[in-house]
Amino acid sequence: MNDFDVYLYDGSFNNLLNTIEILIKEKIKPIKIVSEECLENDLFSNIKKKTLSIDNYFAKYLKNISNDFFKIVYDVYLSDNQNKELIMYYFILNGLKYGSKVIYLRKLKCVNEALNISSYVRRESHKLKGFVRFRKLETNFFLAFISPTNNVIGYLSNHFKKRLSNESWMIYDLKRDLLSIYTKNKFMIIKVKDLEKNNFKFSSDELEFANLWNIFYKTIAIKQRTNKRCQMNFMPKKYWPYMIEMRDLVEKSY
Amino acid sequence: MSIEEKLKILADSAKYDASCSSSGSKRENNNGLGNASYSGICHSFSSDGRCISLLKILMTNCCIFDCKYCINRKSNEVKRALFTPEEICQITINFYQRNYIEGLFLSSGIIKSSDYTMNKLIETITLLRCKYHFNGYIHVKAIPGASNYLLKKLGSLVDRMSANIELPTNNALKLLAPDKNQDKVTNIMQFIKENKSKNFVNAGQSSQMIIGATNESDLNIMQMSTNLYNQYHLKRVFYSAYIPVNKDRFLPSLKMPPLKREHRLYQADWLIRYYHYKINDLLDDNHPNFDILLDPKTSWALRNLNQFPLEVNKASYNDLLKVPGIGPTSAKKIISNRKYYTLEYNDLKKLGVILKRAKYFILCNGKYFTNNNYFNLNFIKNNLLLEDNIDKKVQLCLFNE
Ligand code: SF4
Repeated sequence: MNDFDVYLYDGSFNNLLNTIEILIKEKIKPIKIVSEECLENDLFSNIKKKTLSIDNYFAKYLKNISNDFFKIVYDVYLSDNQNKELIMYYFILNGLKYGSKVIYLRKLKCVNEALNISSYVRRESHKLKGFVRFRKLETNFFLAFISPTNNVIGYLSNHFKKRLSNESWMIYDLKRDLLSIYTKNKFMIIKVKDLEKNNFKFSSDELEFANLWNIFYKTIAIKQRTNKRCQMNFMPKKYWPYMIEMRDLVEKSY
Repeated sequence: MSIEEKLKILADSAKYDASCSSSGSKRENNNGLGNASYSGICHSFSSDGRCISLLKILMTNCCIFDCKYCINRKSNEVKRALFTPEEICQITINFYQRNYIEGLFLSSGIIKSSDYTMNKLIETITLLRCKYHFNGYIHVKAIPGASNYLLKKLGSLVDRMSANIELPTNNALKLLAPDKNQDKVTNIMQFIKENKSKNFVNAGQSSQMIIGATNESDLNIMQMSTNLYNQYHLKRVFYSAYIPVNKDRFLPSLKMPPLKREHRLYQADWLIRYYHYKINDLLDDNHPNFDILLDPKTSWALRNLNQFPLEVNKASYNDLLKVPGIGPTSAKKIISNRKYYTLEYNDLKKLGVILKRAKYFILCNGKYFTNNNYFNLNFIKNNLLLEDNIDKKVQLCLFNE
């Protein structure tokens, strides 16, 4: 085995865990672990794929270290950090070494990074629980577009599954081409290609309520307290294109 | 009158209430629409930087009272509107389904009588809960002077019910709101406290005080709010910088609302609720107002410099909280991490400590961040003021959830 190998996984969480498990067992220090989707031509590296075991024994084993630890591992997987696979590898390696106390060892670079990434992912997911905007379709389905930095569509779906349980809804992640569809107490997240996003027909009252919301949004601000910097800190501009109350502003400012 | 126009009028006259919090409720979705989020969710931020969580509207801006600071007082010539219960339900449901809001914050001017107005509010919320099966968050303002059985009825339908104390002393209230008195407000608070349960105002009550409309000191204000926290178990007191909407010889003429002062009060309120400070630690008869240049915690630390510097590897949790730049989250992280290794200055940043503030008040593994001789009041104070000056461009942000 060669320390300069690049290892490939299929993009899924389980496959990544399996790859890391094998690398750890065989005492290999990878310089890079990449998802097949993100693979660019890397002529100087030796690209390898490790065969995967089908059981999820390793995941269970990691969960046993502690639930908090395992959740952080999963959050790192969801993040868009360029280096997330390696951070996960080293975080897991230290988890195996130190056990549940690993999450208090911020002195270790990979632990600090993993914890920061995890809180970033959860922060974004929490923010989007508020910022997601549904529009009502002719078919009475509610539809929202998102384009989050991290892959939080699963967290959001769990949230809306409880909240809008008697409605039917879809959330479409434009950045990842992921579509979450919910009807009758279940949601499914699927990969879609070429969804015609301008072809939806909206319900007859959609414009009316969007308009009322815009009126409310503008009216509720107190002129004498104007504080755009604060507004932007709490609600970063990257979310504005999907929020109907901000759309005219985005078109002007982008 | 069109629904758009009504919404414009009734949102505009509701906007001065500072509260938009939607936290603290555990209401679940019971085969209907919506649930509460215990930590609260902000759905948008308006151009004044405030969190929008609830559809904050008045049922009507007609009012038989004449509170001097209020835009809706009866002597004002403003356009009046009234929402029907059905209209309020339609807007709430449709906004909620589209995830614009976390719920409804309904308040009202007083029409005919307190009880009549209460009954209208009850009718609206009953429709929302029972016909539309809405399980999202609802905050209502109780009408001062309403009968107890109506308070009981309305409280059993909502997550939060509250009454605004408006001003820090009864005299100020008499002066500016001749139709109100503190007893009417505290009676409501007492009733809510006594009846609070899982099925009655489960997210607790809050209140609001207007800052700068009368000449009370910060000490008066903090005494009132501490009293409210202790006596009626309020979840939050909101401080709202006075914004002149009416001209009146009893009202001050301010150009800008006292936002900085409001900010200091929120900071002090925070210190008392979460950091175990007492009012007397922060203010006394000789210093009845907060320092506008330095936050209350830093001012306290400078007055009590003999308690510093603290060794972060040894100090107790409560002592760590007293260090400017260390909050509950970073204090907890310090405690959990130092069990396993000795903390150095580099590590503190990773734990969320704001080092540029904290460094003056701590020792790290026995070392001060610079020469020990610099540990004196003048050096520290001048440096902190200098740094705050550099940061001045950063505008104040309200304490959000
Ligand atoms: S009772 Fe309320 S709405 Fe009426 S004038 Fe006083 S503050 Fe305004």
